[in-house]
Amino acid sequence: MSEFEKLRVVIGYEFLKHIRRKRLYIILALTLIAELAVLILVPVLGDGFPNSVMVMAALLSVGPALATIGAIFFAGDAIAGEFESKTGFILFTNPVKRTTLVIGKYLACYAAVALLVVLGYVIVTISLLAIYGTVPIETLSSFGLCLLYAGAVLSVTFFFSAIMKGSMSATVITLVFIMVISSIIDTVLMMTGQPNWFMLSTNGDTISTIYGGYEAFMGGMGGMGDVPFEFENPSVSLSALSMSLYLAVGFVASLFISNRRQLA
Amino acid sequence: MSEAIVIENLTKYYNKFLALKGLSLTVPANENVGLLGPNGAGKSTTLKILCGLIRASSGTAYIDGVDVSEKPEKALAKIGAIVETPEFYSFLTPEETLGYLGRLRGMGGDELKRRIKEVIKQVRLEDWSKVKIEKFSRGMKQRLGLAQTLLHDPPVLILDEPGLGLDPRGVVEFRDIIEKAGKEKTIFFASHQLTEVSQICNQVAIIDHGKLLAYDSITALEKKYKSLEGAYLELTEAPLE
Repeated sequence: MSEFEKLRVVIGYEFLKHIRRKRLYIILALTLIAELAVLILVPVLGDGFPNSVMVMAALLSVGPALATIGAIFFAGDAIAGEFESKTGFILFTNPVKRTTLVIGKYLACYAAVALLVVLGYVIVTISLLAIYGTVPIETLSSFGLCLLYAGAVLSVTFFFSAIMKGSMSATVITLVFIMVISSIIDTVLMMTGQPNWFMLSTNGDTISTIYGGYEAFMGGMGGMGDVPFEFENPSVSLSALSMSLYLAVGFVASLFISNRRQLA
Repeated sequence: MSEAIVIENLTKYYNKFLALKGLSLTVPANENVGLLGPNGAGKSTTLKILCGLIRASSGTAYIDGVDVSEKPEKALAKIGAIVETPEFYSFLTPEETLGYLGRLRGMGGDELKRRIKEVIKQVRLEDWSKVKIEKFSRGMKQRLGLAQTLLHDPPVLILDEPGLGLDPRGVVEFRDIIEKAGKEKTIFFASHQLTEVSQICNQVAIIDHGKLLAYDSITALEKKYKSLEGAYLELTEAPLE
């Protein structure tokens, strides 16, 4: 039996795990709530829907972007869990390479997150068609960036899952790294006029800023107010490069560490 | 296959703690060998090295002539193992778990279905075969653990305290299954239960502080030390270093 056939088996059962676990449905529910909140609150609190379809598309992209966070919750226990809950004592005594197991887990997690992202963009598309009768072509780019961002977040989570002893600590540290540390450094770099294209939080912003940048987005919502520094829109190409690097480096590092890790 | 398991000068450090100190022993094919020793003697460490779960600091372990650290997949294809108390994915049923593990071992189709039914019946989990493992007790997981070792009919069984967590009936049933399997397989069996070991195995290796103290037939040890218990107590009484 080839490693590729084993990989298919691992992906199948790992995907089954995501389908059977509540967290997939919780993230799905949160994605739907985010989309509904935008669709209900924007016209209620503002003066109807924004005139520009681009602004509304940018606002609605919060749903799929939120779905990518699901990657952290799906993958936090992917590697750490095998050691912490000792399921590795059964799994790792089978004639299958650790690399195959990790790749299979990664692809199954990615499939689950991609499913949520696709559902998010289906809602975005239907909503825009219903309200404006059109969908901007930038939605396709936003979708691509969102899938890339999901891959980058997943790789970072796999890295932390490979180095941490517990699933919970891997999940929390990844959340703190992406949502807090990366955002703080990102803001400081932006305020001081330094390049920030390599920050994961900046990269995630491109999912919305692809529709015309921060100005168009905030302008459509009534202006940017008195911001004490200049917003520089993230470069899509540099962000894509950065996300690709996070994806590749995080994934390769998690593979390397998982292969070295012992189940004592 | 004349030597199922060969352990050559195995040494294992956990940071500065020396768990195995140049351990060497050979388990001939189709023999049932018990591995005895007090807590921390190095039994589980030895079995984990054989199962590719940890790496030896030095020395080599072979299964059916295959170096476990050089070609782990080839070596693992020949064994069925229970190491520590087995844990399974709680979202799967025993049938699905065995299906997953069987497929990873290249089984499939009707053959896999038939074997799953057989081993589930063997460990008496028929009524629970479609119930998610999250509802299982420790003893039931232990039964499933034994089922997965037998599923692919491997020539070598490596068992680390397989009777742990079982009720008295379970212990007897387990012993019968392992005893039966041992008639045509090699069994390397770590346990604290001397009675269990003497019923299943014909030879025992007694280790302590990571060193081999004795390796002989139970009959020979009983002759020399009056009983297996006597041999165990006398050989392992040295103070902790």
